[in-house]
Amino acid sequence: MTLGKISIGAGRAYKALGLSLCGALASVLTFAAPGFAQEAAAPSAGSYTPMKPTPGVGMPVDGGINIQQQFSPTGEYGEWLHHGLLWICLVISLFVLALLAIVIVRFNRRANPVPSKTSHNTILEVVWTLAPVLILIGIAVPSIDLIAKQYKPAPKTALTIKVTGNQWFWTYGYPDNGDFEVISNMLNIPGQPTINNGVREVGSKPWDGPSHLEVDNRMVVPAGEPIRLQITAADVIHSFAVPSLWFKLDAVPGRINEKVLFIEKPGVYYGQCSELCGAKHGYMPIAVEALPRDKYNAWVLTHAGGAIDGQKPAAEAAPAAAATAAAPAADASEAPAGEATAEAE
Amino acid sequence: MATTADHFQAHPEDHGHHHDAEHKPAFFARWFMSTNHKDIGTMYLIFAIIAGIVGGAFSGMMRVELNEPGIQYLDTFARWFGAVNPDFNTTLHTWNVLITAHGLIMVFFMVMPAIIGGFGNWFVPIMIGAPDMAFPRMNNISFWLTVAGFCSLLCSAFVPGGTGNGAGTGWTVYAPLSTSGSPGPAVDFGIFALHLAGAGSIMGAINFITTIFNMRAPGMTIHKMPLFVWSVLVTAFLLLLSLPVLAAAITMLLTDRNFGTTFFDASGGGDPVLYQHLFWFFGHPEVYIMILPGFGIISQIISTFSKKPVFGYLGMAYAMVAIGVVGFIVWAHHMYATGLSVNTKMYFTAATMVIAVPTGVKIFSWIATMWGGSVEFKSPMVWAMGFIFLFTVGGVTGVYLANGGIDDVVHDTYFVVAHFHYVLSLGAVTALFAGFYYWFPKMSGRMHSEFLSHVHFWIFFVGVNMIFFPMHFLGLQGMPRRYPDYAEAYTHWNHIATVGYMVMAASLVVWFINIAYAYIAGKKAEDNYWGEGATTLEWTLTSPPPFHQFETLPVIGETVHH
Amino acid sequence: MAAPRSNRKVALTAASAALAMLGLGFASVPLYRIFCQVTGYGGTTQRADEAKAATVQDSGHTISIRFDANVERDMPWQFKPLQRTDTVSIGARDMALFWAKNDSDKTVTGTASFNVEPEQAARYFNKIQCFCFTEQTLKPGEEVRMPVLYYVDPAILTDPDNKDVQQITLSYTFHVTRVEDAKALDHPRAGS
Repeated sequence: MTLGKISIGAGRAYKALGLSLCGALASVLTFAAPGFAQEAAAPSAGSYTPMKPTPGVGMPVDGGINIQQQFSPTGEYGEWLHHGLLWICLVISLFVLALLAIVIVRFNRRANPVPSKTSHNTILEVVWTLAPVLILIGIAVPSIDLIAKQYKPAPKTALTIKVTGNQWFWTYGYPDNGDFEVISNMLNIPGQPTINNGVREVGSKPWDGPSHLEVDNRMVVPAGEPIRLQITAADVIHSFAVPSLWFKLDAVPGRINEKVLFIEKPGVYYGQCSELCGAKHGYMPIAVEALPRDKYNAWVLTHAGGAIDGQKPAAEAAPAAAATAAAPAADASEAPAGEATAEAE
Repeated sequence: MATTADHFQAHPEDHGHHHDAEHKPAFFARWFMSTNHKDIGTMYLIFAIIAGIVGGAFSGMMRVELNEPGIQYLDTFARWFGAVNPDFNTTLHTWNVLITAHGLIMVFFMVMPAIIGGFGNWFVPIMIGAPDMAFPRMNNISFWLTVAGFCSLLCSAFVPGGTGNGAGTGWTVYAPLSTSGSPGPAVDFGIFALHLAGAGSIMGAINFITTIFNMRAPGMTIHKMPLFVWSVLVTAFLLLLSLPVLAAAITMLLTDRNFGTTFFDASGGGDPVLYQHLFWFFGHPEVYIMILPGFGIISQIISTFSKKPVFGYLGMAYAMVAIGVVGFIVWAHHMYATGLSVNTKMYFTAATMVIAVPTGVKIFSWIATMWGGSVEFKSPMVWAMGFIFLFTVGGVTGVYLANGGIDDVVHDTYFVVAHFHYVLSLGAVTALFAGFYYWFPKMSGRMHSEFLSHVHFWIFFVGVNMIFFPMHFLGLQGMPRRYPDYAEAYTHWNHIATVGYMVMAASLVVWFINIAYAYIAGKKAEDNYWGEGATTLEWTLTSPPPFHQFETLPVIGETVHH
Repeated sequence: MAAPRSNRKVALTAASAALAMLGLGFASVPLYRIFCQVTGYGGTTQRADEAKAATVQDSGHTISIRFDANVERDMPWQFKPLQRTDTVSIGARDMALFWAKNDSDKTVTGTASFNVEPEQAARYFNKIQCFCFTEQTLKPGEEVRMPVLYYVDPAILTDPDNKDVQQITLSYTFHVTRVEDAKALDHPRAGS
């Protein structure tokens, strides 16, 4: 299949299930291959080759027993708290186990034939009420702090990316980069029933990551800067989750949820839908590809209508602008209607 | 416990009434129109075992599918539910039906009927010295409503529910997946099942509250009641106050589905997140509904086999009250990922952690009860000690999950599955088995085999830990819940869990053999087969107790041990 | 043993408690809505009338507003903000324009749901006029520009919860309320 099967508007067409809201071309593409379509004439200024993921990074590892390696500041803080909590859990469990062992050894019928009749000890009761309270306060302080840090709103200049959950694929909108939309479907698995018609099989490209996690079009984002992720859903509730980025937020139809995503290093980070959303809930993974800013910009420019800071690349400026202006009337483009179009009504 | 047999003063007239006490109605009248709390309790237990076998079979189907990545068996299962040549979506829908049915059956038709309907009905009236429940006929209605609910749920599996037969919404029935996302009658049948079971449980709760408040024998004050009775009382209040909220929520789901209302539909100004608030306002107390009677059972057993009164009786009783009260104000910790505001998340994090305090009081009080005791490791005691350890593990992961910030990485993963199975499948179910071995000879009149009971425990203990402990690893590694298929990296621990399931299933075979042994070759049970440590009123009665007990009320002595 | 009359009393009290909780369950729908409207919980914007809006003073501070538009799956409209972001003066009223076009060959009436992120800003985000207050009907192929008249309450400047908020997003999602020719849409829900 072609590379970079980014379509503009075909997703909406798909969602509308073949209603006549699109131009004939888009409709044909929709029926032929739901969820993706051939790209428009490739813009010359952009360039993009999907990154090959590092095995074991940004994805689960074979037989792994701990959380995935973290690549965000909150993730690193969370990882620290997670380890602290696990140690507390372990110590408390072992303490209880040790007490039970002592009971078994010392207070069995043979070792202690005459039971004591003690049924009160106020000091002891106060201690085992207060000790947990103190432990919990100790836990609560960093955990409240972690919540506060996670919810710090994005700065004004943060790039905004729009995530929409659909049954059963994700769409990623880039309103700050010309408002194009990427449709992301899970790759089919060799030897298993077809999950997404017309989508290639995993492993057919050198950059493909693990099966069940790799998608045809990744959500490409810049690394090393805050991203304002706005999440919604078009049908039922989904949840956008990437374990290695300490990120999970529900996609609720009829509203947006927002949180900052900050990825420290370029790389590919995989996640999966984490709210039951119907039959193919297990087959709508998330693949986030973080690139350095310049490579991200180059990726943006591979899309029709893609723009950096509102500027179209010189080579593409004219057709892109034309496409934008003509979009609502002429074809299925999702590009925003220009003033001109609106005034022409 | 609070009352000792020494202080139970049997009236000599009891013997004169013996003939009347044993007068039983004919088969149909006895079992279908039963108003006898012991018969109804028995029916609840048998019903729970049947439902448990169905729910357990569903989990076996899930574990076999999860043994390796890819879809291997779901297609076959889809055909079992009536699909003809199922397409892939229908096949996958079957998975969602399995998880939904497993959850609903185990919660509403296995644990609750067994622990409240079964042991509660059997022993609450006896332990407080009452001849029966306050409303025997309502008791019967409660039971049959539960059965009707179960039938409605089973029906739902064979009618269309969207992409395939059956309700595939998860036991939480979140809108809009359960409304616009699931056309067809299956979800309606599922909701109706909850209505019926819920109505039955509310009636049961009213019955228990009235019985415990009004029908205690002379001298049986509130603060002398055995802790099992306390636990059922608190549970009854939780049922009474939380189930109606669920009833309202699912009724609104039903009207959203069928009558064009938009309570939870954003298109008409509704909010799907509100449904989640309502569901968990019920759902969180619900988890205490399942575990509190277990706490009560464990308290009775530990006291019995340590030959000591329960340590810190009042603390134990009010710890349960505290758990019940706080349980009502922590619900949104199930919803950390829905986009709650930061302040809401902080509040629910802090409030949830508070529950660890009374729970800790209970754990330490149980250990203190054993401390200094002369502990006999009879079968119920072994199960009870297993409970304490397993519940502790489930409890500490609960404190971990309470953290709204941590939840971003573990919410809706197998870590959560591991946590709630440690407190329920390993907690509540272990308490159920403990209670079963504790009271089975009392209920049946036949002794089970201690040897088989121990074998059952150890195989079960190994099996359930093999199933559920690796799920912590899977969850931390990011494997989401409710997935029929997974990335290859998750294979190892999933395979171990599936093997664990088979070990656990083998232990249940031992259990059934044990029951058969008891009826075929078991010794006749004495009145008080556990000896001096067993001090509550059921041990003053014959095994099994007379059809009508306490026709002359027992009088509880002044001296109490706590 | 207590008298049966007393049993009935306890049972009736318990049953009334259950009924009260049932009522509370249903009442939670309007109560939750009012709670959200009053506190801005869930990102619910405030509604201000002209009189109230007239009393608000321009603070001289500015804040960035972002506009977001969505349609649900069954909605055959295009729906876009005509400006992605806007820098407004806190306290001064401003207008944003949204554009919608009915791509279907049926007359479709829609209603917009809305919320504000970050959530804590919602109680300060006041709408004076909004297309979301009423249903919108578009004929086949019809396009329309829809205004929102709003202001940000200067009280936001003194709220510690909002000290880090530099940009507020106002989001709308259009849902199908009615389709004139019901059988044209193959989703039964659309007709409800």
